[in-house]
Amino acid sequence: MSPEGLAFAPVLLPLLGAAIVFLAKAFFRGRGAVIVEYTGVFTGLYLPWLALIFLFPVVINGSAVTGVIGHWNSGVGISYRFDGLAWMVNVLGYTLGGAAWLHSLSSGPKGPSFSAIFLIQTAALGATIMTADLFNLFVSLEVLGISSYILVSSSEKPGAALASFSYLMVSSTAMVFFLLGLFGLYRITGSLSYEGIAAGLGHLDGNALATAVISLSLLVGAIAIRVAVMPLYGWLPDAHALAPHAVSAVLSGVLIKTPLFALSRILILFPIGKEAGQLMSYAGAATALLAVIIALSQKDVKRLLAYHSISQIGYIVCTWGAAVAVGIGTKAGTLLMAAAFLHALFHAVFKGLLFLSIGSSVDAAGERDVYKLRGAVSILKRSGDKAAIAFFGFLVGALSISAIPPFNGFTSKTAMTYLLKYYGQYGSVLYWILTIAGAGTAASFIKLSRIYWPDKEKISTVFPERTDSGPVLPGVIAIIFLSVLCILGGIFTPLIFKTVTALLSGKSLTMGDGYSFFSTGNLLKSLYTAGAGALVFLLATGNAGSALLKKVRERPRSFQGLFVSYALAAAAMAGWLLYHAAP
Amino acid sequence: MKKSAVGSVFALLLISAVVLPVFLSSYQWPGTARDHLELKGVEESGATNLVSAIYLGYRAYDTLGETIVLLVAVTGTIGILKKAGAVIEDRHSFALPGEMRRANYMRTHLLEAVTSKLGPIVLLFGFYVMLYGHLSPGGGFQGGVVVASGIVFLALGSSGNASSALIRQDILGRIEAVAFLMLLILSISGIFTGEGFLDNPLKHYSSLPAAFIIVLNIIIGLKVGAGIGVMCIIMLGKE
Repeated sequence: MSPEGLAFAPVLLPLLGAAIVFLAKAFFRGRGAVIVEYTGVFTGLYLPWLALIFLFPVVINGSAVTGVIGHWNSGVGISYRFDGLAWMVNVLGYTLGGAAWLHSLSSGPKGPSFSAIFLIQTAALGATIMTADLFNLFVSLEVLGISSYILVSSSEKPGAALASFSYLMVSSTAMVFFLLGLFGLYRITGSLSYEGIAAGLGHLDGNALATAVISLSLLVGAIAIRVAVMPLYGWLPDAHALAPHAVSAVLSGVLIKTPLFALSRILILFPIGKEAGQLMSYAGAATALLAVIIALSQKDVKRLLAYHSISQIGYIVCTWGAAVAVGIGTKAGTLLMAAAFLHALFHAVFKGLLFLSIGSSVDAAGERDVYKLRGAVSILKRSGDKAAIAFFGFLVGALSISAIPPFNGFTSKTAMTYLLKYYGQYGSVLYWILTIAGAGTAASFIKLSRIYWPDKEKISTVFPERTDSGPVLPGVIAIIFLSVLCILGGIFTPLIFKTVTALLSGKSLTMGDGYSFFSTGNLLKSLYTAGAGALVFLLATGNAGSALLKKVRERPRSFQGLFVSYALAAAAMAGWLLYHAAP
Repeated sequence: MKKSAVGSVFALLLISAVVLPVFLSSYQWPGTARDHLELKGVEESGATNLVSAIYLGYRAYDTLGETIVLLVAVTGTIGILKKAGAVIEDRHSFALPGEMRRANYMRTHLLEAVTSKLGPIVLLFGFYVMLYGHLSPGGGFQGGVVVASGIVFLALGSSGNASSALIRQDILGRIEAVAFLMLLILSISGIFTGEGFLDNPLKHYSSLPAAFIIVLNIIIGLKVGAGIGVMCIIMLGKE
């Protein structure tokens, strides 16, 4: 098969799978329906790996599969670009998607409608990252959005429908401004493809330049909402906390990062894109720190995890922005971008693992309050998870996110902070902000781990029997799979890092001559951070600490506030860019 | 309350100030894409209706995406409807005492007579809009919605006994599933015939250059009609 046909496989196979699942729903009953449904899921979630394997040699040397869909003239058709970045994001999506769907067999929701929409979401991820056309990016983001609203609302939890609705409102509002930005760029360049826009931007006069800058800030603002960068994060905690566990894992692990990496394709078109990246980088650092404070204050276990997703995406945005700011094509840019992607990949694995293992535990217990639930290990054993695999999964995930060696979070966080300090603007400030956020993360996971502590004080409520009688095995397999990936990812980081840089730039780079992730300095730093985390945990459980955190937890939140912050953020971005664009 | 109002007004003003320069720009419209469509559009795509040429020719991939948006929206709505169920509090009805029934108490004989006569005509019109989309304004989406209205008319006029298989949920669900599969197979088939994804695979088999657009219009129309139709029928509630 031609590389072009293969490049579309990660988008088309899940769609084909979804079509097969719809057939199962419409034509079959009972056992037959299940067999056809699983065939569809296999086609959509696992078969694309074959295409990705065949595509690897095509993209590894930095080349890409490009063209116009349907072979039309590039001025009017839709351009696409399947390169190393697209390949990597697909790997991210299919790794987590496959594991999460498997877990959904245990934890629900079940049924062909769920599987079909899950597949469509996966397809939209592939489409978002490989498009090279602004309007097509809009369509991809819409498909991505609508499938996630539906998936969030498919949960049985009270409030899920409302969370999904608020997610929908916020996203749709953002997409209106995305469309306005798109219009602005089309208005002055007459083109929708990235190549055409870049060519059109080459010869503009002052007036049109302002339009271009404002359009760009509208696009960036809209994507920043999807990525949940501060201050545009308000929709995420509810949506991610109330969604079914498998969906939470994918939303946190993959969905919030894909638009970010797609955005880097747009930013490199603009001479002013570097400045936009710089501002995003600062916002990312602020996000990492603020979100971890809010996370520390949470009661609900999944809400706590959701705020950690915001915090971790802050790390990624910070590094990613620094990469854009120094120029993606340069060596420093490649290294920073590789570190950002490394953390995106590792975060997907360990956060997915955390959502799935915590999800299994709280389902077994029927209680989600971190202050009320204790002794979850014995509850897990009673519920059918005889070896308490979910507990060990949580342990691996928590150690990873807290950057304890040799787990994967340690190496990716080390890479990000080291490179930021070395290459980033105000790098040492960013380094310290991220390090402090790291201590907060450790504190927060010490707090979360209390749900597994033995129930000495007998504060646990009486737990209901497991009502959802899904088989335990698929969930356990998913958890083991992701746990193994966490450990392997940490150990093989140098190799993975090299591959990522090769996929990004065509040349494999290392962190620096003689640099070792597991050097004494890095190990000691990890120890200090964990120690600081324990200290923060003790402070937070004290009287003054818990009073403060209660205030943080109960701060007012509203859709209106979110809209105000969107307006502020878009205006700030436009002002910042206009200031830097001024001759 | 007051504070939030001030915030909203401030946000609206701020965002308008940001957006305004985009609209006020006096920069001359670049016309390359427009000129290309005007000069070459009909020749390249075979569709006299350039809108069809764009959405099923040049940018058919976007249309595939939008079809999926609709599919997911309909599936999600049906899921939520089935979970929530229909509760209608208002018992007001135009029905006369003799024709009032327990279910569907708002229907009257007049409504049934009119909708059952109009239904087939609306269906026919829907298929016309669908089939002639490449020549005149219309196409799969528009035709599909008209077909869905025809289906709703048939359902309203059925007076309890299913007079047409077209108003059965399972049948509509099957039409929708098959149409979606057909749409994907058609989009992909170009890859295997050597044309490429979403390139016209019928190029060598049909003397009609717009054949691919016509087929896509029909399939999209069937899918949209069945999808929206089944959603409306579920909203109408059980007989």
